Amino acid sequence: MLKQITRSVLAASLLVGSLAALAGEEAPAELDEAKLIAVLKSDAPRFDKAEACRLLQRCGTKAAVPALAALLPNEELSHMARYALEVLPDPAADEALRAALATTKGRLLAGVATSIGVRRDAKAVDALVKLLGDADADVAGAAARALGDIGTPEAATALEAAVTKAPAGRQVAFCEGLFRAAEGLAAAGKKDRALGAYDILAALKPAPQQVRMGALRGGILARGDEGIPLLLEAVRGSDPIRLRAATRAAMELPGPAVVKALADELGKLPAENQILVTFVLGKRADAAAVPALVALAKKGEKEARLAAIRGLPGIGSGAAAQGLLELMSDAEPDVAAAARAALTSIEGAEVDKALAAMLTGADPKARAAAIEMLGQRRVVGAMPALLKAAADADEAVRLASIKCLGQSAGAAEFPALVALLGKAKAGPELQAAEAALSAVCQRESQPGTGKVAIVKAVYGALPDGPSADVTAKVAELIKGGATSVEASNANFGDPANGIAKKLRVEFTVDGVVQTKTVNENDAITLAGRITPPAFVDAMCAAMANATGPAKLALMRALRSAGGPKALGTIRKATADADDEIKNTAFSVLCDWPTPDALADITKLAKTSKDARVKILSLRGWLRLVPLQEAPVEEKLAGLKEAMALAERPEEKRSALAALGAVFAPESLAVVVPFLSDKGLQEEAAAAAVAISEKIIGRAPAAVADAMAEVVGVTKNQQTAKRARTLLGQARKAAPGKK
Amino acid sequence: MRTRREFLTVAAGAAALGPAVIRSSALGKDGAVPPNERIIAGGIGLRGRGMGVLGWMLPEKDVQFVAICDAQRSARENCKKVVDQRYGNTDCKAYPEVREFLAERTDIDAILTATGDRWHALMSIWAMRAGKDVYTEKPSAMTIAEGQAVVATAKRYGRVYQTGTQRLSEGHHVFCYELARTGRLGKVHTAYAHIAPWDDAYMKHDWLPAEPEPPKDQVDWDAWLGPCPWRPFNRAYIGGGWRGHYDFHTSCIGEWGAHTFAQAQEGLGLTDTSPIEYEFVDNRYGDGMVAHFANGIKMILSRGNYKGVNLFRGSCGARFEGPEGWATSGDGGLEVSRPAFMADQKKLLADYVARTGRALSHMRNFLDCIKSRQPTVANPTVMHRSMTTVHCANICMWLKRSLKYDPVKEEFTADPEANRLRSRAMRAPYTY
Repeated sequence: MLKQITRSVLAASLLVGSLAALAGEEAPAELDEAKLIAVLKSDAPRFDKAEACRLLQRCGTKAAVPALAALLPNEELSHMARYALEVLPDPAADEALRAALATTKGRLLAGVATSIGVRRDAKAVDALVKLLGDADADVAGAAARALGDIGTPEAATALEAAVTKAPAGRQVAFCEGLFRAAEGLAAAGKKDRALGAYDILAALKPAPQQVRMGALRGGILARGDEGIPLLLEAVRGSDPIRLRAATRAAMELPGPAVVKALADELGKLPAENQILVTFVLGKRADAAAVPALVALAKKGEKEARLAAIRGLPGIGSGAAAQGLLELMSDAEPDVAAAARAALTSIEGAEVDKALAAMLTGADPKARAAAIEMLGQRRVVGAMPALLKAAADADEAVRLASIKCLGQSAGAAEFPALVALLGKAKAGPELQAAEAALSAVCQRESQPGTGKVAIVKAVYGALPDGPSADVTAKVAELIKGGATSVEASNANFGDPANGIAKKLRVEFTVDGVVQTKTVNENDAITLAGRITPPAFVDAMCAAMANATGPAKLALMRALRSAGGPKALGTIRKATADADDEIKNTAFSVLCDWPTPDALADITKLAKTSKDARVKILSLRGWLRLVPLQEAPVEEKLAGLKEAMALAERPEEKRSALAALGAVFAPESLAVVVPFLSDKGLQEEAAAAAVAISEKIIGRAPAAVADAMAEVVGVTKNQQTAKRARTLLGQARKAAPGKK
Repeated sequence: MRTRREFLTVAAGAAALGPAVIRSSALGKDGAVPPNERIIAGGIGLRGRGMGVLGWMLPEKDVQFVAICDAQRSARENCKKVVDQRYGNTDCKAYPEVREFLAERTDIDAILTATGDRWHALMSIWAMRAGKDVYTEKPSAMTIAEGQAVVATAKRYGRVYQTGTQRLSEGHHVFCYELARTGRLGKVHTAYAHIAPWDDAYMKHDWLPAEPEPPKDQVDWDAWLGPCPWRPFNRAYIGGGWRGHYDFHTSCIGEWGAHTFAQAQEGLGLTDTSPIEYEFVDNRYGDGMVAHFANGIKMILSRGNYKGVNLFRGSCGARFEGPEGWATSGDGGLEVSRPAFMADQKKLLADYVARTGRALSHMRNFLDCIKSRQPTVANPTVMHRSMTTVHCANICMWLKRSLKYDPVKEEFTADPEANRLRSRAMRAPYTY
């Protein structure tokens, strides 16, 4: 006998060993129900049987029921038996659970009742009804909820009797059961029976507020449109619980009738009730409510008016537009502002049309307001009207329309904008036109990877160390939608076995060859021309024919366009005979946003005899070097060369700031000596900290030295705090450093 | 004289005016809200994260936090200390047992709960049944059935509920969703949702070594377990080591998916449904799983890098792609494919606030909705549908096969085994 037990325990253990693996991290594709049942019948430990039950949740059939049923009275395993039985699709599971109502008590009985409810076993109703009177409140509560889930008329009848007699501590639990029954009956089309239940809940006294709310809401919804009078009665009243319940039901009651009823009632309600109802009407998003909301917005207590206005965007109807337009000139400033915000946010062509119609009105203030709102709404169809308004007799209207065009014009309007700049009066109008042109250039720019072709890409210890041809991989990444490519082992593997690497990519953009090289873990951006070529062509052509302030404004706008043709045009203008044109060209060139101007700028810095140009070009040089996609050594060499030309402290400070964006021990070495220059030490300290934060991992000793010095000289608290933190970290990483 | 509950209904009018607006008549001389006109709040299970969320609640002038309930004494004491310090008194009461707490404190209007995934749904249901509005941390349901029960309970009792997916209220995230929703990216064809780059989709079933249970007044282990299968005590569980265990956690998919699926579905305008198909992927995480919505849009789960492209900026990211461009937001910021999109940032956010009436603050939205009785931004339906997506993705991984799901019937199509995993029997008396 002992041998037999030992043998069965051993067998179960072996099985369980595999069970633990099965039930461990990865679920098996196939489950062996017979083996799992065998575990339940064996002397296996609690964990193993619990896991067998867990797996039987997925695969248990009628065959598993007896073994599971036997565990229902078991204190340790009853719950896990239910884990499997609760979802087991055979009626044998219902029979087992029903039988367990007589063999369990306390928590186990409460659990069994709960599972019967989940399974909606109508045959258990009589047994569950008896449990409503159980001494154990958890059992009684579980029985009530289960009866509710089952939701037959008999179950509802039992619950109705129970709620009216329930002691205070059980009332909420029994109400929960009755609510569930009522919902089930209503869903099954047994409307009158459901209403009976809701009426009993509604009549309970005393009753907690959530039960009162639920009863009214349920009673209204179960009645459908016939519940609207009940809803309106609550909405008219002063009982806040009923008001809340009614507005909640109004959100859920399907169909247009409730919206119409509330809209008809809105004007007659007290102000506070109006506010809650406007919420509902706004959320229901039914255009039938618009006239009532507009009427309230025009006349009522201020807060109710504002609530009505704010309900309109949610409906999004153009029918609201006219009313809001009128309200934009309301005497009450908050109302006028709210109307304007609401009108701006309502989507749709009707509002666009109403605003466009205002452009021909008599009042220039109204015209200017309409222009501003059209701009905010990004209304493409209003472009012709806006372009016409740019020639309005009123200056404020002209300025508003030019600004608006800057916010919303696109490629189609660009030629007209260029022409507009050519005709603009000097002063605010010309400035606005220049700003608009620049804004459109920037806005319409986008990366154009479709025009990029990879010629050759190499990743490794360049130029002469181990490397790999990664042309195909880079091409694949670009094809997949990337506009930049990270030089990393994650992308390309490690062809250089831990040696610092670079990525060099030779590529064409619209046929023009470019080569970029970056260090490991930096990224190369492979973007097409950033501004549509037609924009640049139009501006260059206009510039050729323009004179005076307009010509200068076009030159400045070309900076926003960028690209080789624009750069070439500005470069040519630096040789213009007219001093004003020449000087503007120098300013634009030195302020060029991208590193393709570096060659011109560095030449100017080294050779110009004009002090102003020298300073501007040096500043441009220092600004652009960190933006280059180039190896650190190249950037550092450029900055050192520029710094050597800096005579004034302003440019030296710019140089230090630029060095602070080159994250290498070599740049830290260039910065550190300036920590002892009283006029430059704060900039040097900031740069040293910025560099150190990026290189501490690879150069802790250098960082420790630099930060010790920074802490000693800087008076900037933030810089000092960062330096102290870095110093602590660096000392830990380089223990020889003090 | 109006009761406080009546006042809160009246003050709903003030909430209609916009975020955090109290009628001037309700303000005291220093701008404070008189005590009898404040929302009375209590907490259940507030530790690490929960205390952080409490930190959003306590500064709000129209809230008074009065009580904390926790199965762990040290947690109760810590919360009480923080609250009492805030108010400069010793009034915060501490309760060890939640059902007694809910039954006794009928004065409490709203509950903040952050118990741990296993308890979020049940605690919310119990609190709502007791007449409270609820702010609960995420993930807010362990199964599809739990989510359905939360939705039903909130409707039944007219409760206001907010799940802690706060990125639905953060400005740069909202802007990203609005770019997608308003068509500025064109017709969005693909969304990406970030899943946690740690842990697996496959979780542990084994028990940690048994340790002696502490005294009940220190840790009520039975209550800590709640509806979950019993297992012996080990202190690691209560210190956060419950993650990665099937009974207590929703896996790496739910850890962030509770947020990011809601974010993606918000931007797609699909907060009231779930995907209809989930493609199994043969890795441990669900990384790269494609979920298909009925309208043809794909949502791809990703740990961050998809086909060589870093999709997100920081953690808990969502990304939207259309023919006109893409936009992605994460905790590290926002990125768009065209600078032009950024020009609309102020407008889109202003329009969003005007259209929805929602504050760009998750806690403020909850408090405003308590007064207005309107649905919050992360209401039960939003929670349930996004968590359903989490559960379907998890079940797809556990069964190692692709699945089809009917979001109207809320069942898997022709897959009885998957359907059995839509629920788990709960351990009495911790049942709803």
